[in-house]
Amino acid sequence: MREGIEIALRVNNAGRSVTVPADETLLETLRERLALTGAKRGCNQGVCGACTVSVDGRPMRACLSLTANCAGAEIVTIEGVARDGMLGRIQMALEQTGAVQCGFCTSGMVIAAEALLRANPQPSAAEVQAGISGNLCRCSGYRTIVDAVLLAAAGGRG
Amino acid sequence: MEFHRPTDMSEALRLLASDPEARLLAGGASLVAMMNARLVEPTTLISLAGIENLAGITEIDGGVLRIGAMTRHRETASDMRLSGGRSVLRRAAGRIANPVVRNMGTIGGSIALADPAADYPAALVCLDAEIVAAGPISERRIPAREFFTGWYETALEPGEMVAAVLIPKTTAGSVGVYRKLARVAGDFAIVSVALRLAAQNGHCTELQIAVGGSGPAPLRLPQFEEKLVGRPLDDLDAAALGRALAWISDPVDDVRASADYRRRVIPRMVEDAYRRAVARLGAKA
Repeated sequence: MREGIEIALRVNNAGRSVTVPADETLLETLRERLALTGAKRGCNQGVCGACTVSVDGRPMRACLSLTANCAGAEIVTIEGVARDGMLGRIQMALEQTGAVQCGFCTSGMVIAAEALLRANPQPSAAEVQAGISGNLCRCSGYRTIVDAVLLAAAGGRG
Repeated sequence: MEFHRPTDMSEALRLLASDPEARLLAGGASLVAMMNARLVEPTTLISLAGIENLAGITEIDGGVLRIGAMTRHRETASDMRLSGGRSVLRRAAGRIANPVVRNMGTIGGSIALADPAADYPAALVCLDAEIVAAGPISERRIPAREFFTGWYETALEPGEMVAAVLIPKTTAGSVGVYRKLARVAGDFAIVSVALRLAAQNGHCTELQIAVGGSGPAPLRLPQFEEKLVGRPLDDLDAAALGRALAWISDPVDDVRASADYRRRVIPRMVEDAYRRAVARLGAKA
């Protein structure tokens, strides 16, 4: 059996240590070892965005990140977005606009949209579309998702 | 599979030389996707993430911009020193995939893979950029036109890696345009056009056009470009150059478009890019 690589990282504000093979993706580590199944495995090619998590403050594809290369990284998954039982602003807005259909894309959408609003707190609808252009919704329910991000940007008073 | 994260280039190059099946890991946007699909199964992975000074854009001698191999597309897409003619590269970087993938992918990783439908090759050929290749013994500079040699093939020798890309200054007052035809936002190009243009008193003084996605390597016809220099901007037949580029193209039939469609669309893309460049010059004047 091949030897694993011991990696220490921070996930949702908690220190975690894992021993992984070199080719294990961050997505596999999160889902299989750390039981954080909010990030989804869609295409496993970086195209669909369902696995998007925040790494050191920027949204990244967990399926294209190797855990062995993430030593010391600060990772936030969808499980870490709500604070003290309070949903994040994007999550609340998605609920208000009824933007969740099957929900498979939602966790990635939330991470991507949170990053968008951090970089651009008052985006136009076109900027929201560009910001989440790497996150595919197979239900094709984009309009209510864009509405939700705009609502969140307006402080929930759209 | 072994995993290494060296902290300097010489160690990375030593590891690269030690195993013919070793792969350098830059941003992972292509390599990890290919590993997930079992298209490549390296026996050694060498992460470049721990090497200092491999990321970032710096101005060096003569105003040349040096873009380190590990510079993310996000950074290249937002660096306003890439202005005028050099904006071709900034615009091309901003059209790669989507904001999340632009946080990951790097210029060195992208050009080392040399996907003919990617955005950098045409932009770099248009800009007469040079690629700095680091090898076990020394560094050398490869003109972009000679770097992209075939389908997913480059002039890199075994044991060499991309260390940086050098972007020369462009003529004062010149403008850059990058046009990309794609099925949906963020997809690879069906055809792309990188163009820069300079003019004086309404006459063309410089025109450089490279076409991507239309053969194993970007297309360019410098002698044809020369013939158009001196023409009045409003009487310059860019589509004729586009037709010549289509004539030398060798596009593929694939899921994005047929080869025939690509040949037909090249002249129109070139003409459209030229018109936008003229408009941009007009807006500047």
